[in-house]
Amino acid sequence: MVTVALGVGFGLSYYALTDGRLFGAAVVGPWTAWPDVGSATPNPYTRGHLTRTAALQLGTSEGLQFTATTDSDGQALSLSCTYRIDGKTPLATFWTLVAVNDAGVNLARPGEDPAMRSSALARADDGSILIYVGKRLAPQNWLELTGEGPFRLVLTLYDTAVFSGFGTGGETMPTIQREGCA
Amino acid sequence: MIRTLLWLLGGAILGGIIHIVVILTLPALAEDTIWTRVTALDAVNRIVVLPQVKPGEPNPLGLDPDLAYGVCQIDLKAGPAYLSGTLPDAFWSVALFNQRGIITYSTTNRDGIGQTLEMGIFNADQTRLLAQQQLEIAEGLLVVESDTDDIFALVRLAPPHQAMRARFEAELAKVKCGIKDLGAATPLDPTR
Repeated sequence: MVTVALGVGFGLSYYALTDGRLFGAAVVGPWTAWPDVGSATPNPYTRGHLTRTAALQLGTSEGLQFTATTDSDGQALSLSCTYRIDGKTPLATFWTLVAVNDAGVNLARPGEDPAMRSSALARADDGSILIYVGKRLAPQNWLELTGEGPFRLVLTLYDTAVFSGFGTGGETMPTIQREGCA
Repeated sequence: MIRTLLWLLGGAILGGIIHIVVILTLPALAEDTIWTRVTALDAVNRIVVLPQVKPGEPNPLGLDPDLAYGVCQIDLKAGPAYLSGTLPDAFWSVALFNQRGIITYSTTNRDGIGQTLEMGIFNADQTRLLAQQQLEIAEGLLVVESDTDDIFALVRLAPPHQAMRARFEAELAKVKCGIKDLGAATPLDPTR
């Protein structure tokens, strides 16, 4: 009984504050966000998440940050593969896309731009985006990375209407497709 | 069989209680918090511009490499605080954090304040005094009430291009932040 209690108690707490899918986090495709993180009265799970990250979060009116650890098929993102980010982002003044490892270290190749920014992209006629992320040379918009192992994609929307109810209904986020692995 | 199931059920219920206790006590038990990290920056009553995040370097504050950040730590017990300056014509935003890292107030320059950042921050007692004085508040001045005395303000500024970053950071460093001595002038005019 004690084993079950400890396993359930601490296991559930760890899960709630890392993945958080069933608790405070919102999920759109492979992307997760904590919509309550910038609120003045966050729920207890979001408070735990705030404590755990101890980072400078965005206020509700400033924006919202989405993180992806897997591609749209559910496979973990790996630096040995190239990924295609395709589709439309929610309405925002601008956004940035960075790739980081588990410790939050930026994985862009030194000397290149550390972040991909919405205002500096080649776009399709309908405004949709197509970004390649990975170590191997890619056409169009390429976020060049370096290193080995798993990584996370962080998409930060600034001054956004996402989850505010002003959007077009279903929140659309771009898909992450695996292109090929070395 | 039933006895085993009951034991397991008991374990699960106890686990649920442990879970709730862990989640509720975690914020109070943490030692390395956002407050201690900001305190280490030595930004009391002045704006400190944070260095840009570089690839391959640790980023404990979770900063966006494309943005410039200015932090200012304030203790409202010493008097009402102000944040005052003119920022370049680009997206910027301000957030007030309390000691627990919760954002109590945030706004962006799209909310009709343009390039001018003028903010007065008051605790509950100071807000009451302010209301009693019935002063006229200058247009564009944001009056913000804070629940707690220990707070820090974070200004985010987004240079449209990285080539402008140094100039934008210099403008951000010029923003004034601090405590207004109630004995000297009116607390409402941060320029005096």
